[in-house]
Amino acid sequence: MKIYFHLNLSGFSNCYVIANEVIKEAVIIDPGQITEEIIDKIESDSYKLTGVFITHNHGSHVHGLKTLRKIYTPKIYAADWEVAGNDTNVITGDGKVRIAGLTVRYMALPGHTADSMVYKIGNVIFTGDTLSAGKIGTTNSKYSEFILRNNIERKIFSQQDATVIMPGHGPPSCVGVEKLFNLDIAHVSEKEAVPVIPLSDK
Amino acid sequence: MYTLNKCLVHSCKNLALSTFDEDGNITDKQNYCLDHIPDPGKVKEQIYNYIKTHDVIVGLNTAGITFADIDLTDKRFYGCNFQHCTFTNLHSNGLRSRMSMFDFAVFSDCTLLNCNMQFTSFGGCTFSHTLFTGSDMVQNNFNGMQSFQSSFDDSDLYNSRFIRARLVNTSFRNCNIKKTMFLDCRQENVSFKMSNTREAVFDRGGSALFQGVDQTGGAVF
Repeated sequence: MKIYFHLNLSGFSNCYVIANEVIKEAVIIDPGQITEEIIDKIESDSYKLTGVFITHNHGSHVHGLKTLRKIYTPKIYAADWEVAGNDTNVITGDGKVRIAGLTVRYMALPGHTADSMVYKIGNVIFTGDTLSAGKIGTTNSKYSEFILRNNIERKIFSQQDATVIMPGHGPPSCVGVEKLFNLDIAHVSEKEAVPVIPLSDK
Repeated sequence: MYTLNKCLVHSCKNLALSTFDEDGNITDKQNYCLDHIPDPGKVKEQIYNYIKTHDVIVGLNTAGITFADIDLTDKRFYGCNFQHCTFTNLHSNGLRSRMSMFDFAVFSDCTLLNCNMQFTSFGGCTFSHTLFTGSDMVQNNFNGMQSFQSSFDDSDLYNSRFIRARLVNTSFRNCNIKKTMFLDCRQENVSFKMSNTREAVFDRGGSALFQGVDQTGGAVF
């Protein structure tokens, strides 16, 4: 498995191309904007685009889908039917999909939006806007925030500490780092997280 | 980035080290982690050799290994895993890294000048006497890092995050810190001279004064 990262300059969102080099197939997560670079990557390595996974139906994560569907005929997986109308394979709750020779596990993680989904491929979790480095996703009510925080603790923080987090915006992280240093979900006290070394010891 | 294999010991949660074939190339075979591998010295030597003989390194997993007195000038790392590694007396000029993970690594007396590291994670790292002068460090994760006597001078830190970091005697002079987050940081003798501090995020929702509320929830008049 190889992961290619692409930054969409329009909405500063992250788009990921996950390729299976053995069978030459690929899937895309969050095509916020489809650029020449992404098409070049798929074409130059002769990958067959078999699937598109949407973390949630926000413009900066789905805008490129229109372009993509003009060129390829991938299966589209999302929790919201409106993403691609009748062509959407609507997924709900938790489960897994076998595609491009990869096992894609999905977990519903509402809070940021009602249709928020998190995908796990191998040891990497694609969290969309539910969790980014050091912060949780924005919500529009205290209740949504409570639900989101609860879901993150149950579904993401229960993974191995070394599990890599690839968010929808901002830099990557790993579960171990988020457990210790996430501003919104502080699992340990600051004293434990950042051990104080007396200045005299330098 | 390749799949990060887990250690062959069932109860072990650590990531396995990379394996190499007879020609010295990385393979996808499963392996043990540094704690359980029968001959750690041999694997360490293979990893050192691989880094020395290759300029472009993709998907290398060295979790937990100590690197000392190594020159990484002009090396390129893509999707590599250096979590919990220790780097001592590392020297490089023009190092390049994409999507690599350095979480909980320790950098001591390292000189990484003019490096280009993007979409890389340094969460929970410790930097001591480490120089990143003149580097492109765009969209990197430095959350929870601790730095002592270190320098990021003349660097581009656009969209990076320093959430809950501890910065002691560290300088960010003449840096681009547009959209860089320094939330809940502890700073002692930190300099941001000549940097575009107005573009950085030091406070989550603006100060309590501008929000019109104080810490206890009452209005400020």
